[in-house]
Amino acid sequence: MSSSTHSLGSHVSRISVIAMHAFTQLVRMKVFYFLVVFGIIMIASNFFDLPQHDGPESMGLNVLRSIKSWSLGTMTLFSVVLAIVATALLLPKDVEDRTLYTILAKPVPRLDYLAGKLLGVLLLVFVSLMLMNLLMTVALHLRTGMVLKEQLQMAENLGWPQATIDAMKAETLQQGPSWSLQGAVFAVFLRASIMASLALLISTFSTSTLFTTIISFLIYFIGHFQADARDVYLQSGEAGQGVFTRLVSLLVSLVLPDFQLFNVIDAVIQGQTLPLITLGKLTLVGLFYALFFTLASWFVFSEKEF
Amino acid sequence: MKQPIKLGILAVAVLAFGAVRMPFEARLSSDLRAAGLTPAPLEIDTRDKIDQTSSAVVLGGLRTLVATFLNLRAFSFFQEKRWDDVAKTFGTMVDLAPRTRYYWETGAWHSAYNAASSYFNDEKLAPLRRREAWRASIIRGRAFLERGIRNNPDNWNLHSYLGFMLSDSNKFPAFPDTNETFTAAADAYKRAVDTGNALPFVARAQLYSLARVDGKEAEALALARSLYKIRRNHTPTVKTLLFVLEAHENPDMDLVKRAVEIFETPKKAYEALSAYWLRTRERYPVYGVAATLEPLEKTLKIAPDESIFKQPLQRITGPDDWFAK
Repeated sequence: MSSSTHSLGSHVSRISVIAMHAFTQLVRMKVFYFLVVFGIIMIASNFFDLPQHDGPESMGLNVLRSIKSWSLGTMTLFSVVLAIVATALLLPKDVEDRTLYTILAKPVPRLDYLAGKLLGVLLLVFVSLMLMNLLMTVALHLRTGMVLKEQLQMAENLGWPQATIDAMKAETLQQGPSWSLQGAVFAVFLRASIMASLALLISTFSTSTLFTTIISFLIYFIGHFQADARDVYLQSGEAGQGVFTRLVSLLVSLVLPDFQLFNVIDAVIQGQTLPLITLGKLTLVGLFYALFFTLASWFVFSEKEF
Repeated sequence: MKQPIKLGILAVAVLAFGAVRMPFEARLSSDLRAAGLTPAPLEIDTRDKIDQTSSAVVLGGLRTLVATFLNLRAFSFFQEKRWDDVAKTFGTMVDLAPRTRYYWETGAWHSAYNAASSYFNDEKLAPLRRREAWRASIIRGRAFLERGIRNNPDNWNLHSYLGFMLSDSNKFPAFPDTNETFTAAADAYKRAVDTGNALPFVARAQLYSLARVDGKEAEALALARSLYKIRRNHTPTVKTLLFVLEAHENPDMDLVKRAVEIFETPKKAYEALSAYWLRTRERYPVYGVAATLEPLEKTLKIAPDESIFKQPLQRITGPDDWFAK
């Protein structure tokens, strides 16, 4: 193998070609049809304005929360399902189509192949999330404008002081489109990225797509308990837990990812600000997992016979 | 390399990776919890209350989405007047989304207003049962709101809503000590004002509650004076309370002269004080009101038949009357 095949540029170029191929392959599976479903959910969430007793200053705020809640919830579900199923499909499909043999017969390092496949899935998840995010932000922007207009009109009629109007406006804008909301969407992407890289690792030694999908979803759900297991382990000295409980909780803490960290999206839906430093730390966690799982996948896949 | 060895190395790597990330994740997790960015773990009780499908969704990190679904379910329970189910569902919703003010307020409203009114009007129940169910619903609504305040101490709306509930003439009779209830209402309004974000009416509402507490007239007068300095607060009730509390502080003052100063003309003073005189259900203090209305009637040449004192006063009623039969 010539040195040019190992230069950084050639790695990047190979990974991009494989990533774009994986992306195109997935797009051809008509995955973007789910956007229609998302659109319907978006429209429906605009009508969940149940009777309320709030003062006129709070009118419409619940609909804004409802739009965010439904949208981010749907984004989480779609992105995780897409990340797991798409990744689980890729390797078996390449084996079935015999594309894998053609690629591996060429001087393509297996790490490049895996990284390319993973990046293809992540690109698909990213594009999907961006499209859903665009829809959500536009809907939220329009609805926030409507709510704000009504509130300001009412405040003017009642002759409220400027400071009070500003406080009300700030509260309403907090429920509208914000940088924190964009941060929450990014947190959704990070969680899906971890799941995609984990599914890639499982698919390197799994025997079927179904097995990879089921195990990945199981890990996804149990990952939301990881923090509880870690708390049990870290506090077990004080709580007087038995050795077996300590061992099990330690094992769960060490093996599974902590998905509860990404539940910051719930706080954003409720109108809280997501600090940039927190998002940075979450990104670090996401990168850490994605890198580790990709390297681990390569370790398993590197000498696998087909 | 043989597959078992490979898997063994992988297992060791996974454990080592876990050991490296655990302290970082534990610290980040506790920082996020402290900042209120991630909620406390769900109680087993809450996990039991939501069905299997919702549990799975919650496990998927979508607590607020499940709370939104439950809100729809609670609305159906409300339409069917299943008040215990409404309360239970809202209890679960606030466990899932403790920072959403709407759920705390709506849960308290369903209990203290909708359930209480439903029991109040339920003729199928025996009077004693109706009374107890009405009282219990209001107490439950208050307790729910107070729990919401403990979870969101900086939210002025929740404090203000508690003040509103406790000073409502249809609600405060549910509590044994009226003086204590008005004090709690005034305190709730004060806490709302202290957040710095409350709307202007909240400070006035604080005065309306404080003025009804026996023994706190001096404090209420100080508040009335500070509110009166701002033109926006010159509402009929603030003006009247200022007058009444001044009359309490100095019974020997020239009442008519002071009333005309505050209300601008004898006619306006008579109209405002007359309306106030008839508001018996709200239990506002009436120091000096009658003693001012009498000379004003003479000044304004009000015919004896049209005197405000000839108009029947609303009898102060309470649960004993409401649930007599």
